[in-house]
Amino acid sequence: MLTCRQMSELGSDIIDNHLSVRTRLSVFMHLHMCSRCKRYIKQLELTSQVLQQLPFKNEAVDSQSILNRLQAPD
Amino acid sequence: MDEEQEILVRLRRGDSSAMESVIKLHHSFLIAMAMPLVGPESADDVVQETWMKAFAAIGKFEGRSKLRTWLARIAINEAHAINRKRGREVSLENWGVDSGSPIGSRFNEKGAWEAPPSQWHYETPEALLTEAELYECIRKHLHKLPSDQQSVVMMRELGGLDCPEIAKALGLAEGNIRVLLHRGRQRMHAMLNHFEEDGTC
Repeated sequence: MLTCRQMSELGSDIIDNHLSVRTRLSVFMHLHMCSRCKRYIKQLELTSQVLQQLPFKNEAVDSQSILNRLQAPD
Repeated sequence: MDEEQEILVRLRRGDSSAMESVIKLHHSFLIAMAMPLVGPESADDVVQETWMKAFAAIGKFEGRSKLRTWLARIAINEAHAINRKRGREVSLENWGVDSGSPIGSRFNEKGAWEAPPSQWHYETPEALLTEAELYECIRKHLHKLPSDQQSVVMMRELGGLDCPEIAKALGLAEGNIRVLLHRGRQRMHAMLNHFEEDGTC
């Protein structure tokens, strides 16, 4: 039987689908009866998705001078 | 056609305003990713080379990955090329050591939740990212992660690289990469949870 602490340690393996068959079954059983872990794993997945969609735009980057350097002969 | 497809069409035509847009979109990310691989003094050179190669080869980019992922792969190759030329290796001292669970104190001695996460107001990444304050907070905390976790989170989540290629790029075992990724996500989750509870960063 997995504890909630162990579930939290497995969090990324759960959301990345990186579990052995046996562990997958224990995880499934735990999630079935533990709403707190269900919430934690769901939020961890949401955190991962937020990071994946995080724009990293920086208007302050001087793109013009970078382009000029690309076009300048060596 | 989505935004990225549209910009790709313009890039293939050699449209310089499209080049400027992608530079603004991805330059800071590439610098942050290259920094630990080559050190702060060479990160600029790596990324400059990356733009050069990328714009020259954009016709070969098939769009099977995100543009950012393709750029990240070029940057990693450039970083390794610079290191080889200078006869040095990536030296990432103390990288990959597990810092332990950042939420260990939220469980009782039996391993059950004592302080479980709260219910969040938002349920989708799009909804979460509409809050400007939250967006700023995420960026701030991303930079506050320990450098190994930050690097892996950047490469995996923002860059879209997979764990085996990150392991190769950093010279660490794939198992280490997965642990670092998990710790980084846990810390970012704790930040989001705090924001959802308190409304402050």
